[in-house]
Amino acid sequence: MIKDTQIQKGLARMMLGGTLIAATLMLAGLIWYLSANPGIKSGDHIFSGEPKYFENPVQMFQRALDMSEVGHRRSFLMIGILLLLINPALRVAFAALGFVAQKDRLYAGISLFVFAVLVFSFFW
Amino acid sequence: MEELTFDILISVAAFVAGVLGSLIGLGGGVIITPVLVLGFGVDIRYAMGAALASVIATSSGAAAAFLRDGISNMRIGLFLCVATTVGAVCGAMLAVVLDQSVLSVIFGVALLVTVVLSLRKNPDAAGSKIHSDPLAEKLRLPGTMPTEHGPENYGVQRVIPGFAMMWVAGVLSGLLGIGSGAFKVVAMDQLMRIPFKVTTATSNFMIGVTAAASVGIYLKRGYLDPALVAPVALGVLAGAFVGAKLLPVAPVKLLRIIFLSLVSVIAVQMVLRGVGVNF
Repeated sequence: MIKDTQIQKGLARMMLGGTLIAATLMLAGLIWYLSANPGIKSGDHIFSGEPKYFENPVQMFQRALDMSEVGHRRSFLMIGILLLLINPALRVAFAALGFVAQKDRLYAGISLFVFAVLVFSFFW
Repeated sequence: MEELTFDILISVAAFVAGVLGSLIGLGGGVIITPVLVLGFGVDIRYAMGAALASVIATSSGAAAAFLRDGISNMRIGLFLCVATTVGAVCGAMLAVVLDQSVLSVIFGVALLVTVVLSLRKNPDAAGSKIHSDPLAEKLRLPGTMPTEHGPENYGVQRVIPGFAMMWVAGVLSGLLGIGSGAFKVVAMDQLMRIPFKVTTATSNFMIGVTAAASVGIYLKRGYLDPALVAPVALGVLAGAFVGAKLLPVAPVKLLRIIFLSLVSVIAVQMVLRGVGVNF
């Protein structure tokens, strides 16, 4: 039988590791992005939205890998950020698996519900 | 301003916000958005997107330590996340239809309430209880926490009011791009009478999950500019890490007074900006 403390330790490791990997990727992506755009003025004063391809992780990976693509470096940067953003969803999914292993139906259900809300918000 | 200079400046500002936030116990979100909006003239929607992403970063880092030490209560956290995530989706949907100036006013007011909430002198004054509500027992929410004299049991009360307050905290999180940790702490500490240590640890776990429920909607609406999110999130993350290290030696009381007065001024500025007073 899996203990609560085991689930918690696994969760802690995943959260810390995931954050560190995401931070490393973001830092690398940022340096790379800035090295290509040294003189561009920042346009964040006016809201213009972001390109549609940021909505779809699959498309974004394709763009990040396509060197000829404009916004290639921005896409690369976005992948590091996405890794950061999916950490909580992975956290909940991991907890759900732990509860399933414990045969704790109530909390497996609760975790899966929260996971479903998170997935819904990303793909809605 | 050149992008490189701009990015360096905002990551330094985010770093300071991260240090202060972790020393005072406020999340980075409530601080970083006004700094970006008032200090750098960033559109509030981009600022909220960047703040929400950094909230997820710091929450993941801080919550990990609490989980490992067995202070957070996973069951309470996940159960209440049902309310906060649903609330966050509602809040994010509301945010995309509201005007920038309305958001600014709501943000300022929420910031003032946050200051008042964090001014409370004795967080454990409400007193935790050993016995629990029947509903809390049924949901198996009561738990044990590690103390100096070994593990100690605690009870959980008023589940339904706590759950409702968590929904409100979720709406605010999605609406304003904040972690709304102060509101979560009130729900667990004041209403559900959960010991303060468990409350703050569990709130940290929940903040990231709550924020993740609205970040997808922000992403779809184009609130996440990668070139803004990355320097802000990295700055806040590094700041929170340094802040946690400084905690034992920093003059926290003095910092609290200075910082909370500063945040109050910022809150008023956000409200004024929202109603169209510029200065």
